[in-house]
Amino acid sequence: MHTILAVDDSPSMRQMVSFTLKNAGFNVVEAVDGQDAFEKSTQRDYNLVLTDQNMPRMDGISLTKKLRENPKFKQTPILILTTESSDQMKMAGRAAGATGWLVKPFDPAKLIEVIGKVVR
Amino acid sequence: MLTSDPQTPPPGGGFPLVAAADLQDHLMVASHDLERLQRLLEDAGEALMGHFYGASNQMNVLRDEAPKVNLDTAPIKEALQSLAGAITALQFQDMATQLIAHTQRRLRNCADRIARDAMGDDEDGEAVVEDAPMRPNPVTQDEMDAGSIDLF
Repeated sequence: MHTILAVDDSPSMRQMVSFTLKNAGFNVVEAVDGQDAFEKSTQRDYNLVLTDQNMPRMDGISLTKKLRENPKFKQTPILILTTESSDQMKMAGRAAGATGWLVKPFDPAKLIEVIGKVVR
Repeated sequence: MLTSDPQTPPPGGGFPLVAAADLQDHLMVASHDLERLQRLLEDAGEALMGHFYGASNQMNVLRDEAPKVNLDTAPIKEALQSLAGAITALQFQDMATQLIAHTQRRLRNCADRIARDAMGDDEDGEAVVEDAPMRPNPVTQDEMDAGSIDLF
């Protein structure tokens, strides 16, 4: 079973994301912000990271940069799921090494479809 | 800076003291109202999530009873679609929270600056001014349609 690290500082968003992913058959580990996710990234292997952008302590783009420095995460898909829709932010996410940029709110079926495309 | 006449603008221009105090009060009231709105949204969000999980659990019960229960029916498919639609709509709470937090910070910054400019620093030191948001509001959506997807 694939394991996804789901990162969001909003408890309701974490619930929605986890519910959607678990219903689609994924194992989910939740993190409350980028720093928490970074700490959890060392504890096990993940098939995908799905992260919010605007969070306290460490944002999604900073998390992406830090994860990409780790050889273990060089090939791991990292999707940023955020309210931010500006091209400038998307380009910053791309430059940091993100695999994709998804603007909230997400549609469960489309989210699973995109994950299916990027998870090996 | 204090003016001798609270109704008169200070010599360098700006708000008279009374108008500044009045404006600051209005901004603080608006900020507190937003705090209350935030709590209302949190409460409504939690209640909606509870109902959502209730309905969702019932669907799981039906799933567990398959094939005794035929899941391949129009009403069940519609119910599942409605639950999926609810997941998209329920994300309003996260977006509203960000929008309110940003707006509150902006209001408090305005109120603090007005107070500092009209009344000067506090007796015990420099007036505290809430930092203004560094960037424009991150939430630009004005509807709950699903957002865009870009794969790089």
